[in-house]
Amino acid sequence: MAAKAGATPATYSPSPTTNKKTRPPLFTDVDWVRPDGRDFHQCRPAFLRTGAVNAASGSAYAEFGNTKVIVSIFGPRESKKAMMYSDIGRLNCNVSYTTFATPVRGQASENKDISSQLHKSLEGAIMLDTFPKTTVDVFALVLESGGCDLPVVISCASLALADAGIMMYDLVAAVSVSCLGKNLVIDPVTEEENYQGGSLMITCLPSRNEVTQLTITGEWSASKIHEAMELCLDACSKLGKIMRSCLKESASTSQE
Amino acid sequence: MEVDAFRRLFPLRFHERHLLESVRPDARPLGKARDTSLALGAVGSADGSALAKIGCTTMLAAIKMEVMTPANETPDEGCIAIEFHMPAICSPIVRPGRPAEAAPVVSKQLSDTILSSGMIDLKELSLVSGKAAWMAYLDIYCLDADGALFDAALLAAAAAFSHLQIPVVSLNDEGRIVVVSKGEKLKNKPVNEEKRKLKLRSIPFALTCIIHKNYILADPTAEEESIMETLITIVLDSSCQLVSLYKPGGPALAYESIIQDCIALSRQRLRELQTILNEAMCDMEVD
Repeated sequence: MAAKAGATPATYSPSPTTNKKTRPPLFTDVDWVRPDGRDFHQCRPAFLRTGAVNAASGSAYAEFGNTKVIVSIFGPRESKKAMMYSDIGRLNCNVSYTTFATPVRGQASENKDISSQLHKSLEGAIMLDTFPKTTVDVFALVLESGGCDLPVVISCASLALADAGIMMYDLVAAVSVSCLGKNLVIDPVTEEENYQGGSLMITCLPSRNEVTQLTITGEWSASKIHEAMELCLDACSKLGKIMRSCLKESASTSQE
Repeated sequence: MEVDAFRRLFPLRFHERHLLESVRPDARPLGKARDTSLALGAVGSADGSALAKIGCTTMLAAIKMEVMTPANETPDEGCIAIEFHMPAICSPIVRPGRPAEAAPVVSKQLSDTILSSGMIDLKELSLVSGKAAWMAYLDIYCLDADGALFDAALLAAAAAFSHLQIPVVSLNDEGRIVVVSKGEKLKNKPVNEEKRKLKLRSIPFALTCIIHKNYILADPTAEEESIMETLITIVLDSSCQLVSLYKPGGPALAYESIIQDCIALSRQRLRELQTILNEAMCDMEVD
């Protein structure tokens, strides 16, 4: 018997792990060149597709550079029997990572935190009173984590909700910005996120120009926040257009 | 009555009406499997990966290599840890936090099949005898569950192993194994310069069939599996030898003639799957 069932030996990964503590000194003079050659204010090309999972009411697959996410929507379906009666619908979100999503196996990050952030950004956009007494389940699986995971999950989830036919006020687009020294870098990759001095994430409804969630970590001056917000809102409106065209394409192919 | 309503209210009668005409609701003949496709190298961060699709059932398999100290009784052998996950996205019956009933069953089945088929010689996973060996973590995620989970999972696992590219490592001064990056000045000679790909001996392929009255349906969908509950899974290796036969109960009995027919169907399927795997490997080499 090759694999002993009870005794799982301790293993370690041979790859050089990026030590978060050894950061280079503050980027005062050094110009950071982005690993994938993008401009500081350039987002990664987005690949979006709906209808990825046949078993779900609606689903979407999103690929932003190396970050790959699948989101499935189930519902509206019966709420758990233990739940009290509710005039409006309920939203249940869950985000999980595969074991191979991160470079080191099993390093899945703060799932509960990400799930509740996803919930907060979506619940402002969904018309909950169109499905009273029932629950809509939003399940996300991050296949590969290449940086900026939560914004990609949020955008993908709103696309999946549209695919499932859940009524919403608008699509939800999300983008995050990292502060590296004096530079503002949009849509950071994992390497940049490890070295960041602060981050700002905005999820907004692009055509209504309303923000459902704003998350800021780190040290920010007021002018920097304004600059970052402008960048993000601009990127969100562009992302909103891409999402809309993806939905139109899938609707027209299904009509044929 | 509308067809969809009839299908929901009287599913067994709906399917039996089709079986009388020797066809299934998706217009397949009884012994035919669904369209199968395979894509290697789907996950960039893993050492070997594959995406297998049988009809709508989608499986993503990825292998990550880590280093361990081999056991005292087998200092020249590495280890393989196989795990099958059914995340909440794949099916409306799976809830997050509560693992699906089918997941540990398929996990154990896969483990047993892969290790007993002799596809991988564990001696190839050894690095430094007695001190370091590879532990290959094979994780298979079901992305869409539409019946025949074991077949798709086994195909994805075999493809992931064929795609596996073992990183070149060397033993550093502290006795740890580290990956050799390109262009780095090699202080220590790499330990496994030549052994980059695993040599796969007999690759096992599976076919699940449903037995219902006198009919044998190959490659069931989730709907068929839930209505006609007797499943039989046959695993053959590349030399057409029987590796495993699995019939977990069920209301229908499997007579010898039925088993022989299932094995014949599996042989046909074996050839189909072998061609698909070989094509996928050739495509990858061209890239």
